[in-house]
Amino acid sequence: MQNIWLYVHFPELAIEAVLLDMDKLPVDKPIAISSPQKNAQRIVCCNQLAKTWGIEPSLSLSTALAICPQLMVVVKNIRQEERLLQRLALISYSFSPEVIVDTNGLWLNLSGCEQLFQSYQEWLKRLQAKLLMQVAFIVTGVGESPLAAKLLCGSQFHKHLPNSHEIQCALVATRIDKLPSTLKQQQSFKQLGLKTIGDLLKFPRSALSRRFSSELMTTLQLLQGQKPCTSTRFKPSTEFYDEIQNTQGLYSKESLLFPMKTLLQRFSQYLIARQCHCSQLSWRFEPLLGDHQTMALNLSSSKNNWSSLLTLSRLQLESLELPQSIERVSLSCNQFVDVTESNFDLFGNQVLLDNQASELIDKLYARLGVDALSQLVTSEEYLPELAGNTQPPSKNTKTNYIASKAPQPLWLLNEPTPIQERNQKLYWRRPLTIISGPERLCGNWWQSEQQRDYYLACDSKGARYWIFRETTNKRWFVHGLFS
Amino acid sequence: MSSKNLLNALFLRQDTWQGRNRSLRKHTISTGDKNLDNLLLGGWPVSALTELVSQQDGIGELSLLLPTMKHYACRDTLCVWLDPPYQPYAPSLVNAEIPLEQLLVVRSKNSKEWLWAAEQSIRSNAILFAWTNNSRPRYAELRKLQLAAVESYSPAFLFSTENSLKAPSPARLRIGLQTHKANVLSVTLHKLKGKNPGAKTEVILNNLQTERTQLEQLPVNISYPPKEPSTYQLLQNDESQHLNA
Repeated sequence: MQNIWLYVHFPELAIEAVLLDMDKLPVDKPIAISSPQKNAQRIVCCNQLAKTWGIEPSLSLSTALAICPQLMVVVKNIRQEERLLQRLALISYSFSPEVIVDTNGLWLNLSGCEQLFQSYQEWLKRLQAKLLMQVAFIVTGVGESPLAAKLLCGSQFHKHLPNSHEIQCALVATRIDKLPSTLKQQQSFKQLGLKTIGDLLKFPRSALSRRFSSELMTTLQLLQGQKPCTSTRFKPSTEFYDEIQNTQGLYSKESLLFPMKTLLQRFSQYLIARQCHCSQLSWRFEPLLGDHQTMALNLSSSKNNWSSLLTLSRLQLESLELPQSIERVSLSCNQFVDVTESNFDLFGNQVLLDNQASELIDKLYARLGVDALSQLVTSEEYLPELAGNTQPPSKNTKTNYIASKAPQPLWLLNEPTPIQERNQKLYWRRPLTIISGPERLCGNWWQSEQQRDYYLACDSKGARYWIFRETTNKRWFVHGLFS
Repeated sequence: MSSKNLLNALFLRQDTWQGRNRSLRKHTISTGDKNLDNLLLGGWPVSALTELVSQQDGIGELSLLLPTMKHYACRDTLCVWLDPPYQPYAPSLVNAEIPLEQLLVVRSKNSKEWLWAAEQSIRSNAILFAWTNNSRPRYAELRKLQLAAVESYSPAFLFSTENSLKAPSPARLRIGLQTHKANVLSVTLHKLKGKNPGAKTEVILNNLQTERTQLEQLPVNISYPPKEPSTYQLLQNDESQHLNA
């Protein structure tokens, strides 16, 4: 087969999208989704249990409630449905390069996917397992064109891929009223005595084009794969946003971790589909009343692993003041980094160490705050207090080695501390003795003229200090400790 | 597991005492000083907590660890400085050829954060240099760090003050640092598995004295401050003369 398309249909998508928000799933209850149609609330979707009661789509709400008084009716939530369908498309995107989003369903192009998954059987098995994590009821159809696949949609998930002959036989036997056509065309089919698609295909094209409009001819071309499907292919969005709503409210930080975990798992799927990592993400916690609270998570190196992101989020959450009850948790990210494949060292664990270092920095950041971490940098300044500086940690700084022969201390005091002179002798904590020097430092004339003579001094207990004397006002200062 | 495998697994554990010192040498890293290596049976213990009790700040306690810091930092291992007592001076670290991008200075707000950051650093195989700054952690807390260090690949160093000597320490190695002469650090062994406490050695630190031309002898016209008997005399005389003597 040249082209194989799989149509995945979610018959109860409307119910599943609404149930996502509920804590306890009403499994053994007849459920129906209603939406306003022609000035009346009508049923658009119902579950199997409701069907056994005789509920069916297009029934008016009052009739449905009369048939089944314990029917649970929920209003259709289009936004939720779309979000769920996008999520399902994202999962499918990791199985097929071509995914088309339909209402309540998806098309997947299977051609060429066999090698990656070893067999179509394995491919179908894995796809089903992944999709079942999100929705409970899935049916599929296989065809040589997207339209054929949709028409051949059966009542279960395919375990094996039918061969070309089987597909053709099934398509020929399909009832003609399933074909997308106008009411007038359907009447014409009846008048011509056409019952199946096979009957229609037996007709010569020239005869059909005389009787029917060009739209039907296009449909037939699409059906037989003679014309390529032009619907837009699914592509993951350039920004990520997802939310989880809890109508009852979440009162503790521990209970927030569950929706956060789910959101991060979805986010991780999104990153894998887009083949990128994130470098920053932001959380938003909204209460029913009052102001929301946001939390931004900055990462020292990019990540796509949900468990480490959850650990970091949890650490940062500990120090966050939250409203009493949270109704909606949302996660958004718009800063992505393309993945650069790392080379694994065959004999060492350098990659592991690198990852551990950046993970450590992220953890410390999340728990202790941004101000707690700093990295040392040198700057080309004359005055020692300006020559060494601190900045937030980053991997990009590189040390420039400038060898200096002069002794320099390891510790620098925040600012030079004046030394007392007692009986013309230096005294700081203890009496000081100069052991070497001086090292003249002059410069900074463009700001404030400084001329200092630096000496190395030690006290009676052996501690060594870096002291200087300002040549202008002859005052002594201690500036550092040789640790 | 057969008994042989079980024994081998036990031997691999660093907390198994094997009666001979040779086994301890495997898990050490040289301090860069021969005398000190001999005293410490090979060097600083790796995968263990080392406690350095220094008489006071500024006697050379950090210089002692610079070779080790350089060794690890040059191999791209992160060095975490937890609550250093003063601001580290970057140019002097650059002079010691330590890549600054591998140094991370962490400031904790309370003892809980201090302990957490220390443990996380050890568990992430970073080299930890932690200062207790007069608030001695409890024995159980330090034991937690020692146990974490046993499972890591790198050494951890804890700097504490002389007051802490009164309390027992769970650290594998505990040494006291004192100095009576400038540039000479005397190291006293307080605790090391496989060696009796009380052993001592002296470490000569880098000679930081520089020979400078007296400014007044320079053949240039500079404005040198007028002679002051108290300080200027000192420079002329013996270097180690005490000002208050």
